[in-house]
Amino acid sequence: MQCVAVPAIFPGWPGERGDINKKIRITLNGQERILEVVPYRLLLDLLRDEMGMTGTKEGCGTGDCGACTVLLHGKPVNSCLVFSGELDGADIVTIEGLKIGPELHPVQDAFRQDGGAQCGYCTPGMLMMTTALLRENEQPTEEEIRFALSGNLCRCTGYAKIIQAVQRAAEMMREKKITEAKG
Amino acid sequence: MEKLSFVGKSITRVDAEEKVTGSAIYGYDLVLPDMLYGKVLFSTRPHAIIKRIDTEKARRLPGVHAVVTGKDAPWTHGETIKDMPFLAQGKVRFVGEPVAAVAAVDEDTAQAAVALIEVEYEDCPAYFSPEEACNPGAVLIHEDYDSYRKSDIIVPGPLPNILEHFKLRTGNVEAGFRESDLVLEQRYVVPAIGHAALEPHSAHAQVDPESGKVTVWVANDAPFRVLHETAEALGLPKEKIRFINPYQGGGFGSKGAMKVETIAIALAYQTNGRPVRVKFNRAETFVSTITRHEAIVYIKSGVKRDGTLVARQVRIYWGAGAYAEKSPTVCIKGSHPSPGPYRIPHVQVDGYAVYTNKPLAGAFRGYGVPQTAWACEQHMDELAQRLGMDALDFRLKNVFVDGDLSYWGERLQSVGLKETLLKATEAIGWGKKTGQSNPPKGIRIGKGFACIAKPTRTPTTSTAAVKIDSRGDVMILAGTVEIGQGCTTILSQIAAEELQVPIDKVRMHSLDTDLIPFDASTTSSRSTYHMGNAVKRAAVKARDQITEMAASLFDTSKENLELSNGKVRVKDRREPALSFGEVICQKLGSDGVVAGDGAYTFEMGKDVDPQTGHSEHASAFYMYATQAAEVAVDEETGRVRLIRMVAAHDVGKAINPLNCVAQIEGGLAMGIGAALHEELVIDDHGRVKNPSFLDYHLVTSLDLPKMETIIVECPDPNGPYGAKGLGEPGLAPTPAAIGNAVANALGTRIYELPLSPERVYWAIQTSKKNPSPSVSAEPVVSNPTSFR
Ligand code: FES
Ligand code: FES
Repeated sequence: MQCVAVPAIFPGWPGERGDINKKIRITLNGQERILEVVPYRLLLDLLRDEMGMTGTKEGCGTGDCGACTVLLHGKPVNSCLVFSGELDGADIVTIEGLKIGPELHPVQDAFRQDGGAQCGYCTPGMLMMTTALLRENEQPTEEEIRFALSGNLCRCTGYAKIIQAVQRAAEMMREKKITEAKG
Repeated sequence: MEKLSFVGKSITRVDAEEKVTGSAIYGYDLVLPDMLYGKVLFSTRPHAIIKRIDTEKARRLPGVHAVVTGKDAPWTHGETIKDMPFLAQGKVRFVGEPVAAVAAVDEDTAQAAVALIEVEYEDCPAYFSPEEACNPGAVLIHEDYDSYRKSDIIVPGPLPNILEHFKLRTGNVEAGFRESDLVLEQRYVVPAIGHAALEPHSAHAQVDPESGKVTVWVANDAPFRVLHETAEALGLPKEKIRFINPYQGGGFGSKGAMKVETIAIALAYQTNGRPVRVKFNRAETFVSTITRHEAIVYIKSGVKRDGTLVARQVRIYWGAGAYAEKSPTVCIKGSHPSPGPYRIPHVQVDGYAVYTNKPLAGAFRGYGVPQTAWACEQHMDELAQRLGMDALDFRLKNVFVDGDLSYWGERLQSVGLKETLLKATEAIGWGKKTGQSNPPKGIRIGKGFACIAKPTRTPTTSTAAVKIDSRGDVMILAGTVEIGQGCTTILSQIAAEELQVPIDKVRMHSLDTDLIPFDASTTSSRSTYHMGNAVKRAAVKARDQITEMAASLFDTSKENLELSNGKVRVKDRREPALSFGEVICQKLGSDGVVAGDGAYTFEMGKDVDPQTGHSEHASAFYMYATQAAEVAVDEETGRVRLIRMVAAHDVGKAINPLNCVAQIEGGLAMGIGAALHEELVIDDHGRVKNPSFLDYHLVTSLDLPKMETIIVECPDPNGPYGAKGLGEPGLAPTPAAIGNAVANALGTRIYELPLSPERVYWAIQTSKKNPSPSVSAEPVVSNPTSFR
């Protein structure tokens, strides 16, 4: 049974891994980085374990919950389904890169104000997915929001406050755009 | 009442900023210097004797620092029955039980070592249903049950494998049934479900080789309770144990149990002071932590023709799983209100918590009430139907109101139940045509509602301290755990209110049992009430010191002072106000601090009597709620679609209305999941078939209808500002409300959860073949699986 007698993924794994490292060059939250990675390690583990960036959350490790969502070349992906070895040349944005200078991104601010986060564990993934949605669709309908977030599970909120927060974020971003255009 | 400045306002959550920036550190995120990584070998058998464990090969794998089995960790623990070993001892009792564990330099190595451990088993008969497990003649799952250490509340049962028997006796039910015009008996089934908090379980532990002090970093919601449990298990004085709490990514009851903690401690004893991290993955979290109790509920009622309830007998089999965990208290607290929030002269309840060879069941938001409400509230509807009475009128005739003497002997006060009933049914348009008067062909529309009363753990204690420093910053030291419910915000609001300081001047210290004063637990919806009172008292004491010092500075008496915005001034004097910081600096110097302490116990509270189930004050307060549903059922597919849900909750006083709504919505979503699709499917070898988010269907953003929340405020005389609790009831009446709406739509009732398309489809087909018997007021016994 796959759930308990978890087979060792690498039987006889020697506890060393020097021989199969690979060098990659990525842009992470706007900064260029050259990293040595184990190619079969997941992007999620690379971020959390190797780089100590634990803002990206792990809820399942199997692509079913969306807690680990990051932006890869501007598109939302489950970082638990991406191998480090595939990342050469990748542009990655995580929750740590969402703030605009010292200011919260409107998406963050809206979730903060509207009760979009309770335990907050799904929140980073929700925020990255929302960011991706609002880039493509400035004025999503409730249906479109529900659809966009349907791969991001939340056990706390019942989604109502999250959806409200996304609507508010969209509004804030539109207003910002207008003021910027005027200014 | 005086005007309130912070309480009653929808103040933005104070922990939100950390959470939206990703800087909040959760248990699963924690990294300790020099730590080792733990992995666990789990049992593959539901009930077997361990003939041999061979760990030699695992020990020899390079990178492995420790391998432990039950032999190396000869300890057992349990909240009320000490029956659970840290790692299996001689026997396994469910598929997924920890048998051995490894600590190594990284997770891959630890996992590889686990695969090298050999175990030989000899199978024993296994039971997967609580009713079967307590058949006379059943093999014992715990042969040594009698010799286990137990707390005084435990009442052993009359049949095999029963670990707790709860009894409630009021009047004489047999006489009551004889007096009745209608007697109806039914059997309801609720399956086990998962807590499925988004953060999986993990624990970090370290044993200091010099002092022997055990430190555990874990997002546990009852650190003081598990500290006590650990001390008892290890035979250490309490000061040798320390629990430190990072943020918790949801728990809903699951993270109050000691599951990963025990393994991390067992390993940490073997690693020479190096800390050990043990993380469960999602599948392990589903199977090897805890689940919600499956329950089989028999309910039999006698009513008069005019709708007066005369007698009710309830018998519940709680599937405890392989170890007692919190089953005794779930059995007591869940069985006790099972006859529902009604005046009934003759009541008999028997709750049995029964060992099975399934994953453990433990605390789950609602503590048994959701399961019994599924039975009781559908039963109420069916009684009304057979009496030819409106379901609302029938309830209004019997429901608890202020001053009623309950069937457990308590005089009830501050009962907002009737108001929730009226408001929820009005909002759903009960008795009115549905909005969709001409549904498409093959779609049937129905409405339903259900109500509950939920007690809280009583008596319990909370203590707190409130500190003000010379900058005027306020620090709350309180042992309530931020599990997502918003306690940090609520307690900050209370402190800000009493001190009249801006909310951003108030912070709450993170939880560390070496530092923070005692709190019973963050469970049972008890925190706002108990800890709220404790923080309020502590803040008042701190305030008194400030005003005393200020009075001498201003050369006036305390009564002439007024506080606002973190400053104190003399009423009607022109003299400028002094900030709290200035007062402290002037009187105590720039390093000065004032601190107040506060404690709260509901003094009158008394646990129910184990033989009669009676208590004059069984609960510090009761939470009342009614929820209503409108559904559309597709006859062709059996799919139930929710059109809308209404939830009316009596919260006493909403300290933070936005947060109240958020709690209710979250509860509703959980209740909807339990109603429509959640179930841990366990096969006849005891294996969980769906331990993943792919196969275990949590509600998604697409599954939820429009949710309307109604806050009713019927103040509690002892609650802070009148507040009661709110965390749990959000999901308790939901399945029954939906079940009643489905029955209303289909004209046939479903007795087992979840209301999956398949189950609904077959119910429709069956009802077409044998339409339900015509409604009559003759004594009937439907669903005739009789009492034993
Ligand atoms: S952790 Fe990647 S989808 Fe759940
Ligand atoms: S806020 Fe807890 S899982 Fe979404």
